[in-house]
Amino acid sequence: MRKSMKKLIALTLACLMLATLFVGCGKKDDGGSSGGDTIKLGWMGSLTGDQAAYGTCESQTLKMMVEDLNANGGLLGKQVELICYDTKGDAQEAVNVAKRLCAQDQVCAIIGPNASGQCIAIQSVLDQYKISDMSTVATNEKVTMQDGQLKEYNFRVCFLDPQQGKIAGSFVYDNLGFDKAAILYDVNDDYALGLKDNFVKVFESKGGTIVAEEGYTAGDTDFTAQLTKIKEAQPQIIFTPIFYQDFIMIHKQARTLGIEVPMLGGDGCASEVLFDAADAVDGSYVINHVSLVDPAGDAFRKEYAEKYNGAKMELNGYMAHDAFLLWCAAVEKAGSDDPQAIADAYSQVEVEGMAGKIKISAEDHNPVGKSGCVERIDGKNKTYVFETYIAAD
Amino acid sequence: MGIEYFLQQLVNGICLGGMYALMSVGYSLVYSIMNFSNFAHGGVIMVGAYVGYFALTALNVPFLPAFLLCGVGSGLLAVIIERLVYSPLRKRHAPSLYFIISAMGASIFLENFVIATIDGTPRNYPPIFDNRINIGGISLGVDSLLMIVVSAVALLILMFIIQKTKVGLAIRACSYSEKASTLMGINGDLVIFIIFLMGGVLAGFAGMLYGMRFIVKPTIGQVTNKSFVAAVFGGLGSLPGAIVGSVLLGIMEIFVASFNSNLRDLFVYGLLILVLVIKPSGLMGKVVEDKA
Amino acid sequence: MFSWYYIEGILIQSCYTLLIVLGLSILTGYTGMFSFGHAGFVCIGAYVSILCTMAFGLPYWLSLIIAGLAAMLLGAGLGKITLNLKGDYFCIATLGVGEAIRLIFNNLQLTINVGGKDFLLDGAKGVASIPLKTTLFGDWNALSNGDVGTFLSTLFSSALFIVIIFLTATALLMNSKHGRSMLAVREDELAAQMSGINTFRSKMLAMCMSALYAGIAGGMMAHYFGYLQPKMFLMTKSTEYTIMVIFGGMGSITGSVLGTVLLCALPELLRAVGDWRLVMYGLAVIVIMIVRPKGLMGGKELPVGRICRAVGRVFTKKKKDLPPPDGGSVGEEASV
Repeated sequence: MRKSMKKLIALTLACLMLATLFVGCGKKDDGGSSGGDTIKLGWMGSLTGDQAAYGTCESQTLKMMVEDLNANGGLLGKQVELICYDTKGDAQEAVNVAKRLCAQDQVCAIIGPNASGQCIAIQSVLDQYKISDMSTVATNEKVTMQDGQLKEYNFRVCFLDPQQGKIAGSFVYDNLGFDKAAILYDVNDDYALGLKDNFVKVFESKGGTIVAEEGYTAGDTDFTAQLTKIKEAQPQIIFTPIFYQDFIMIHKQARTLGIEVPMLGGDGCASEVLFDAADAVDGSYVINHVSLVDPAGDAFRKEYAEKYNGAKMELNGYMAHDAFLLWCAAVEKAGSDDPQAIADAYSQVEVEGMAGKIKISAEDHNPVGKSGCVERIDGKNKTYVFETYIAAD
Repeated sequence: MGIEYFLQQLVNGICLGGMYALMSVGYSLVYSIMNFSNFAHGGVIMVGAYVGYFALTALNVPFLPAFLLCGVGSGLLAVIIERLVYSPLRKRHAPSLYFIISAMGASIFLENFVIATIDGTPRNYPPIFDNRINIGGISLGVDSLLMIVVSAVALLILMFIIQKTKVGLAIRACSYSEKASTLMGINGDLVIFIIFLMGGVLAGFAGMLYGMRFIVKPTIGQVTNKSFVAAVFGGLGSLPGAIVGSVLLGIMEIFVASFNSNLRDLFVYGLLILVLVIKPSGLMGKVVEDKA
Repeated sequence: MFSWYYIEGILIQSCYTLLIVLGLSILTGYTGMFSFGHAGFVCIGAYVSILCTMAFGLPYWLSLIIAGLAAMLLGAGLGKITLNLKGDYFCIATLGVGEAIRLIFNNLQLTINVGGKDFLLDGAKGVASIPLKTTLFGDWNALSNGDVGTFLSTLFSSALFIVIIFLTATALLMNSKHGRSMLAVREDELAAQMSGINTFRSKMLAMCMSALYAGIAGGMMAHYFGYLQPKMFLMTKSTEYTIMVIFGGMGSITGSVLGTVLLCALPELLRAVGDWRLVMYGLAVIVIMIVRPKGLMGGKELPVGRICRAVGRVFTKKKKDLPPPDGGSVGEEASV
């Protein structure tokens, strides 16, 4: 009796699985047949995993903007359909997702993913399908160019690691007037490596010295060993090209160890979450693509917070916003949702985004004339204080 | 690089080791009786950290009740996991392989359940003990000090329960031979209930202390991998072993990291392999006999 | 419906995952040793194969063989030092080795200069622009262009062909003396030793085979994604492979096939569910362990030959084709 029960359950499970298979097919079929009167835009990024917060913000921003756009009549008289998939922050998953978006959902363009590794990984899929990808915060050089060769379907709206490293280097040396810096970075992360290398290059060429260079591996939470070593080296500033959760932890631990020097983080550090640890991070600096306190973004932030229960807008939201505007402009310019026409149009349009005027260069598919914004964290008032703009080129 | 530097690193190591100890004791407790590595333990710690976070921010309770709430929440969760996931396997006398797989499933479930219901955003505890004390040239955060004290007290109480009380006697008997003790009239189910409860409560404390010192996010369960290495290093199934192993691992890890931070994890896993090759029973583990 | 290119991608992934799972099935399903570090072998295979094709310009099929052999060598070395460990300790050792391999590649900065061309292994940054060589059936365009040589070499190194070869090899191995020795080791190592089986050799064979499979699969994987990063070989990957073996059923080749294909496709199909996808994945593992712990096939083989004839009776009358580990399998009831 029990045995047959088990068998029944096993059978039911198997049937359920098969059913999901067919349901999945059926649903996609419907989507395909009605594809004529909507414009499909794909998004991919991390909705789970360590970078879930970035991805969630990007997809929510896009959902909000697509809804607004559709409520105002859509694009070229058609409604826009946004298809979002999770990459788990994994390059391998990103390839799967790209294949699904291109081949299955037949989107006209993709926005995302939010990490360079994933952008580089999906290049071969984009080339095969001739569908363009506009990445939001993928700052690695190799995203759009490799070995001097342009990747035809990879674009981005952000500045590059070398530019960011340069901004950091010149800010520390020229603006702050410091010549002794320490570095603490994630050795596993290509983003951190890219920034670190370029910071060292610029900072040393200006005459500064790196007094300590310490690394850690992703997932580490205890940095006391490295920080104690850095303390011994007595730097004037600590450069931390990492993501904000580590940025917070490093601050907390540094302060308990008695390190009072400020730190400088890259664009991965800027986040509203920083203010939860306001006392610790007070006085440190972050480099950003846009000023997070720019009054021009007030309405945008307010709408986002109202829609998502007071959720805080991350930097990724701004970049997704700009990428979306670029895409809208490109579709209008192309006059259709033809992927190739959109890819061609990307380098011909110019939009006024959150990060200022954005124009994509046809030579390297990077935005031209970007500047980085450095902001100081004011822990007492829980806000950023705008420091300076530094040209990225 | 004087003596101060050395002492500071030593203190850093003891802090880290104290946290590992709170986590690895839970592993060791379960291993000592059920002979399998409970990988769901990391998930329980993570949930404990979240309970503490929401108790402090959403419910606005003071530190001590929040701390106790963490213990209760995690203890309950550990017991629930035991009832729903391991109990059916135990009734069937399934091999330990199945327990490990189920534990993995439970840990995947917990981690992603939190992501799906709350979100993946790392959260930061409101500052509770943010000051630091200076002894000579050594800085020690009050939260680190608290972590060491709480770890020590909790572990002492645990040792007392296990060594001096009747329940402890039952646990020790079961860890020697579950079958024989059950025959002698010990309620095996109850003993397992108790060890999961105790392991869970400690996991809750560890979670909250971890969250205060570091950060709360759904993936912190993975950090417990190292406390698991510590448990193996000290000898799986031995409580004093787990504690000594944890503290030693913490100190060694800090010194390796201060020598070359890139080698830190490589060292931890290298040590794991070395221990297993040279002395699989670890520093103080019980000798594994071939059960025929 | 689903487009072919998308399905082909999932199929190629299923193929090389199946290869890994088959290897793991020899180790875990048949010999009863649990590995948490299989991703490490895959990692070795992947890196060795791209070294071969990108730095030394060797053909793809040769790189796969070298990758497999390299992983096997490592497996043999690892086996030598860890195979005497019992139960949990062995699985912990593999966990350590798997993580250590990944961490080594993470820290490895290596420039190889062959024939004036630099090839850079850049640690955590990964390697991009790997030639996409992995095909499902081989390059049929080459045949229509009259290039028989290319066609044959791609056909023989195509994912499907390799998997079929190794499926057959596994089935043959399991039906041989060695396969039965492995089963005996799994059921009761002491008893197996008493009846004259060299248990260490059996375990070593299982370990080597399993590493070989993983190495070759690693090569296929690298040349399918065109991008390689140590991050792709985290411990969770090893866990996933083991879950596939368990899901399909310990000690069943067709079970492994079913498990892999279902679990490879399942996350893709569940993509629409978004955040809840991995929650359900974890839940499914627990439910299966409780409801049907022997996995889908439970140590039996799908009677492939008879299926057409007995479609209706498959579920009521169980045929035992390949090694029939008696009712209990994996010592379910028998463990003392």
